[in-house]
Amino acid sequence: MKALPLFPIYISDFVGSILMLVFSLQAYRWANKLRSSQPQNVLFMYLFGLSLALVALSVSRSAGHMLRFVFVYAGVPEWWHVMAPWSGGFNTMTFVAVGVLTFYYPNVRRALELVEEDARKLRQAHEELEKAHAELKELTRTLEERVRQRTHELIVSEQKFRRLFESSEDGVFFCDAHGRLSDINPSGVEMLGYKDKEEVIGRPMSEFFLDPEDWQLYYQRLMRDGYIKDFETRFKRADGSVIYVIISANAIECGRNGYGCEGLIKDITHFKKMTEKLIYSEKMASLGQLAAGIAHEINTPLGIILGYAQLLKEEFVGNKELVEELGIIENQALICRKIVSDLLSFARSSDPRPEKELLSVNDCIRHTVDMVRHTFEMDDIHIHLHLQEDLPPVFADQDRLNQVIVNLLNNSRDAIGHGGEIHIWTYFDETECLVTIEIGDTGSGIPPEVKDKIFDPFFTTKPPGQGTGLGLSVSYGIIEEHEGSIEVFSPPEEEKYKRLGIKTLFRIKLPVAF
Amino acid sequence: MKGLFLLVCWGLLFFFCPSEARAVQIHGPPEGLYVHMMAHVFFTASILFFFYWLRKHPVPEGKGWRYLKLSLLFFLLWNLDTLMIHILSIRLPEEALSRPSEIWHHRLMPPITWERFLYYVGRFDHLFCVPAIWFLVQSLKSFLAEEASAAG
Repeated sequence: MKALPLFPIYISDFVGSILMLVFSLQAYRWANKLRSSQPQNVLFMYLFGLSLALVALSVSRSAGHMLRFVFVYAGVPEWWHVMAPWSGGFNTMTFVAVGVLTFYYPNVRRALELVEEDARKLRQAHEELEKAHAELKELTRTLEERVRQRTHELIVSEQKFRRLFESSEDGVFFCDAHGRLSDINPSGVEMLGYKDKEEVIGRPMSEFFLDPEDWQLYYQRLMRDGYIKDFETRFKRADGSVIYVIISANAIECGRNGYGCEGLIKDITHFKKMTEKLIYSEKMASLGQLAAGIAHEINTPLGIILGYAQLLKEEFVGNKELVEELGIIENQALICRKIVSDLLSFARSSDPRPEKELLSVNDCIRHTVDMVRHTFEMDDIHIHLHLQEDLPPVFADQDRLNQVIVNLLNNSRDAIGHGGEIHIWTYFDETECLVTIEIGDTGSGIPPEVKDKIFDPFFTTKPPGQGTGLGLSVSYGIIEEHEGSIEVFSPPEEEKYKRLGIKTLFRIKLPVAF
Repeated sequence: MKGLFLLVCWGLLFFFCPSEARAVQIHGPPEGLYVHMMAHVFFTASILFFFYWLRKHPVPEGKGWRYLKLSLLFFLLWNLDTLMIHILSIRLPEEALSRPSEIWHHRLMPPITWERFLYYVGRFDHLFCVPAIWFLVQSLKSFLAEEASAAG
């Protein structure tokens, strides 16, 4: 290959130097504008420094390349020899400057980022602090108002729950960890038969359970499950009487002492009695149907026996011995007919058309008592009447009502034996529109185990031959027929009866005639 | 006191009777070239570091940064090129370049080996540095335009 001319290189250097100079000055101009627009921008600062260093580089290089030609053509090449080291040295310095700037930019940028991050965190912390300060200030400003409002809300809430607690028909109670009542509402106090809450507070709840096993069961279930629902048991009241209750309660934590409880007590005694009454009434209705069936079946053959006995008596009127024997048959048949008649009375089907009329209960009682008073007084049994005047009339069959009163009076006389008192009360219950008759005696009372059976047909405590056991059954049937009710209390709980020493009280309720 | 007097006399002896100074380092002619080459290396290293940093910390997309990266790439190539020329010019024998008084007759003399050819081609370094600075100008203009549009 031939020698290569160097002038293309020189031309390239010359033109390139001019372009470098022009572009570097342009770069400086734009970089300066950028820096002015954002004096704090690190990138723009770097670019400005870079442009400045490149201007210096271009100037030194361009000076080197261009002046060389100028000095050579001017015939003073030695001048270039003097200037060349200076140009080269300056050139070197610009490289170093550009390098330093390029090295430093990322580090400065990183440092600035860290500073900015710290500043951001500080700013955030400051903002949060200011917010907290503002909230605190607001809280301080409104604290009094908020406390007042909260207190008011608390009072309202307390009143609401206090009202509920105080006015609840059910007993509301709280027990401590030792099973002692720590609080109870007035209904609960009343339910337990006390007058003042203080009498109940502090007493073990187990005291009120009639059956200790029930208490054990209740407590075990409560502690095991944390709650108990509709637990049915019997409570012993302060006066010794018994009530049926259902308890629903929750176990509550009482600090380190253990678990107490809170709950509701519902008195279901009335419901229970009503249920019992209903069951009894159903039983009596069934017995009535049975008795009516039997009575009807017996009545026909009995009538035939009686009829034939009477016919035979008339036929053998001359045969005295036979007539006497037929008389015995007739009497026994009549006794049987009486029993059948009583059975039908109990079953309320003896007379399909009872002769009901408007009548005064008081007159009825006076009339009956007048009939028996003398007989009773022979046994030193005195009858006292406490009849309310102006009783409204009832629509009833007088004979049957008399029969009921006689039955009950006879019953009382049998219970008293010799020496005692029978009291009869009448009064009008306006709320239920019922006339009530109460017949109480100071006799021996009815044992609890037979109380449920006294209205059963043929049930009697009398020795055989002294009673059929149909008296009360018949009375029950008659009263039921009059759409009334008959109940027995032995002993009655009301104080007025206790004062008089009443052991058994029959209460009859009859609807008023409109 | 005697010790202090002897110390002062010894100091004065050095001051008034100097011999060859060895404390100042003398810098000979090739040192300037080496420093210049080292400056090129430094410049190259700084650009490589910058590219590394950009890889680690990506910058937002945009014309400004794209032009700036291109500018630095061309500066990097220019540095490598000039560094190569400086090394080759040391290796080039005196007679390889014919430089008579008439500048248009300057020649790179044969034999044109690959080294001499590389030297010849590499001397066109403005083909790198001019685009580099042009890209820098474009980058700055783009940054300014982006700033203006961001400012609304």
